[in-house]
Amino acid sequence: MATRNRTLIFRKYRDALKSVRVPTSSSPSTSSVGGVGGGGGGPVIELASTSLLNPNRKYAPLSTEDPGLPPAWVDVSEEIAANVQRARMKMVELAKAHAKALMPSFGDGKEDQRTIEGLTQEITGLLRKSEKQLKRLAAAGPSEDSNVRKNVQRSLATDLQNLSMELRKKQSTYLKRLRQQNEGQDGDDLEMNLNGGRSIIDDDNLDDMVFNEHQMAKLKKSEAFTVEREREIQQASKCSWPFVVESVNELAQIMKDLSVLVIDQGTIVDRIDYNIQNVATTVEEGLKQLQKVPFLPSTIISFYFQKPLSFSLILHGIVCIEWISHRRQREHRDEGGW
Amino acid sequence: MVLVSAARDYVNRMLQDISGMKVLILDSQTVSIVSVVYSQSELLQKEVFLVELVDSISKSKESMSHLKAVYFLRPTLENIQHLRRQLANPRFGESHLFFSNMLKDTQIHILADSDEQEVVQQVQEYYADFVAIDPYHFTLNIPSNHMYMLPAVVDPPGLQQFCDRIVDGISTVFLALKRRPVIRYQRTSDIAKRIAQETSKLMYQQESGLFDFRRTEISPLLLIVDRRDDPVTPLLNQWTYQAMVHELIGIHDNKVDLSSTGKLPKDQQEVVLSSEQDAFFKANMYENFGDIGMSIKRMVDDFQQVAKSNQNIQTIEDMAKFVDSYPEYRKMHGNVSKHVTLVTEMSKIVGERRLMLISEREQDLACNGGQVAAFEAVANLLNNESVSDIDRLHLVMLYALRYEKESPVQLMQLFNKLASQSPKYKPGLVQFLLKQAGVDKRTGDLYGNRDLLNIARNMARGLKGVENVYTQHQPLLFQTMESIIKGRLRDVDYPFVGNHFQQGRPQDVVIFIVGGTTYEESRSVALQNASNSGTRFILGGSVVLNSKRFLKDLEEAQRIAKSSTNVV
Repeated sequence: MATRNRTLIFRKYRDALKSVRVPTSSSPSTSSVGGVGGGGGGPVIELASTSLLNPNRKYAPLSTEDPGLPPAWVDVSEEIAANVQRARMKMVELAKAHAKALMPSFGDGKEDQRTIEGLTQEITGLLRKSEKQLKRLAAAGPSEDSNVRKNVQRSLATDLQNLSMELRKKQSTYLKRLRQQNEGQDGDDLEMNLNGGRSIIDDDNLDDMVFNEHQMAKLKKSEAFTVEREREIQQASKCSWPFVVESVNELAQIMKDLSVLVIDQGTIVDRIDYNIQNVATTVEEGLKQLQKVPFLPSTIISFYFQKPLSFSLILHGIVCIEWISHRRQREHRDEGGW
Repeated sequence: MVLVSAARDYVNRMLQDISGMKVLILDSQTVSIVSVVYSQSELLQKEVFLVELVDSISKSKESMSHLKAVYFLRPTLENIQHLRRQLANPRFGESHLFFSNMLKDTQIHILADSDEQEVVQQVQEYYADFVAIDPYHFTLNIPSNHMYMLPAVVDPPGLQQFCDRIVDGISTVFLALKRRPVIRYQRTSDIAKRIAQETSKLMYQQESGLFDFRRTEISPLLLIVDRRDDPVTPLLNQWTYQAMVHELIGIHDNKVDLSSTGKLPKDQQEVVLSSEQDAFFKANMYENFGDIGMSIKRMVDDFQQVAKSNQNIQTIEDMAKFVDSYPEYRKMHGNVSKHVTLVTEMSKIVGERRLMLISEREQDLACNGGQVAAFEAVANLLNNESVSDIDRLHLVMLYALRYEKESPVQLMQLFNKLASQSPKYKPGLVQFLLKQAGVDKRTGDLYGNRDLLNIARNMARGLKGVENVYTQHQPLLFQTMESIIKGRLRDVDYPFVGNHFQQGRPQDVVIFIVGGTTYEESRSVALQNASNSGTRFILGGSVVLNSKRFLKDLEEAQRIAKSSTNVV
């Protein structure tokens, strides 16, 4: 895609005009540096150098009235963003801890369990705290500032919700794998036993006694290992189970609260032009019951009947009957929600 | 994807290199341009926490120096004035100026003069001056669309403005695609010729450096045609999803305003119909009404299943699963409601206005011959009490366009009947339409009865039988596209501008309809593109028409034409 940069020409004109301009001493808000008087040329140059030296400064103060600091709520939003970042890093750690716990080991997995629990609790705590802080960002009354705040809120809410979902997914994958391992372990042992058995049969008869002993020893060891592992996993599941319940509850609560703020992608609320029009309204949403689906009027069905193919007639007869019966069923059904 | 992704790329580039909290300032045109390709949530991801219109932002005095301002405006007189004022008293930390089209040097001068505070960090031209509503369909949303029907003498500056907007829009399409086309236009249309010539001048003379892209073996083709060459398509009732919604309810910038249909919950009063964001819509936008009914029923059934399983939360695992799938569930719920509401509303209108009966007649008038039978059918419908005024008008117009020359007496009878029965009918409107778009004015073979090939084709269709009587009609555009693909677009009907020439078949074609496109035509283009014929078409227009808008433009043009002749 083609573009054209006009900044050079613009700057050229701007500099040329600056030198020609008659300096006015009463021009408002010309300097940020304590209002050095004496001709417009001075402060203008100051400001120019300021903006050139600090191109990445977030807050470029402009007037002497307002010290140019960002409003207080920006600190809150930065705090939340920092918490979100912290939570993200903890998630990475958690992923590692999950992986470690899933690897077969001979020690007891209690320590791994504790680390996982601890991390998960930390993350959930961070999310909870951030969610509470989010509420502080809201502002009353229609003003540009309140719009900015609302949008910052929405953006952070989306981040939080995504993190919550990620946490949930990690948890459920971990538990699933744990369970799989448990079953898998049995399966493996069975395999091993069979193989062991087979090798016994295939072996030279002369070495039978010796191999048998070896094999017996191996079997015994693997059995002990299996039993130990099973116990471990059961314990892990048992330990984490009530804890999982709690965390699911918490996350559900967080998600419910956040859902009011998060924008549903693809809906009218996600349209820029809609947001410009509806500047000050807070987004009110709740899960509404799906309205009773009205019976598709006969117009649609008769539309279909126009086709000369008789096949479609039959098809439509079936559809009609289906629709009628569905409608009856639907009228007795209630839709679920939160 | 082409147009949509080009516009998106421009917006991305505007925002990506500017760090920190930003405010995006748009004008009433660029709002449409951006809104159809970029969403609010995407803006939030890029740290744009406020979006404002350039005229309303002037009114506030709040200082927001912690925000950086990103302006994306059309380089118009009013916008430059707004910018002047804002640069003189800047409210934001920095200002980054992006314009959707070429700036004149004087405009840059004015801006430089006002930027005493030196807040402007960059001035760029990012050529997204078109509204990319679908991957191969763009519009310019020109309010004074009726201008194309008026002779130049009536309002020269107004007409110049109209042509300028079109030239601006078309040229940015090619800048976004980085191509320079060979230009052809419809011979019988003065305005098409004018626009073609002005576009050529811009691309080959005035800004030839800017348009000097790497040349490919075959240049793309820009074809400029006039709406009046096919006045039938906008008058017909539609039965494919997107076109039908626009005809019966109205789509603007991919949004549908349902607030007038009454008693809808707040979140369904205005809905979005975008093929980019709604997979169901993308799959069904070109399907006919009956098939849509089936698809929606299936969608509702699927949703019922999901809803039922969500009710059945008995174990903690179920709860966990529900929490995981909640956002998906919500999205599904919203989408199902939206489509069910739309289809229900349209069914209601179809029933109230007896559209099935009327549309059958309309399709007959548009596609099949037989003047005597047609006259009788139209006369009967005019006598039918339950037919609305607007539909009566459509029928008479369609009859008149086809049988203009046959039996003028009967035509007069229909005019009189119409005038006597429809109190709100502006007398002479049908005659005005004939003056604008009558058989003497048209180039294309609208009814397929001019050359042997078309006559033969029509006969073949008649013998084969039509799959669905409501969707028989093919817009004239379809024939035009076929001719282009075969390399048989006649020079005498569609001459080249100046000394442009093209041997062989173009692979990229942009067709611009002065006066507006219809969704029936954009469907035709999309289906053509999907058939992989080796040529890719893009369709654009000054507006997107439905019958209501077409008639409004006609009435407005008639009113102005009448008053100007009175004055003169």
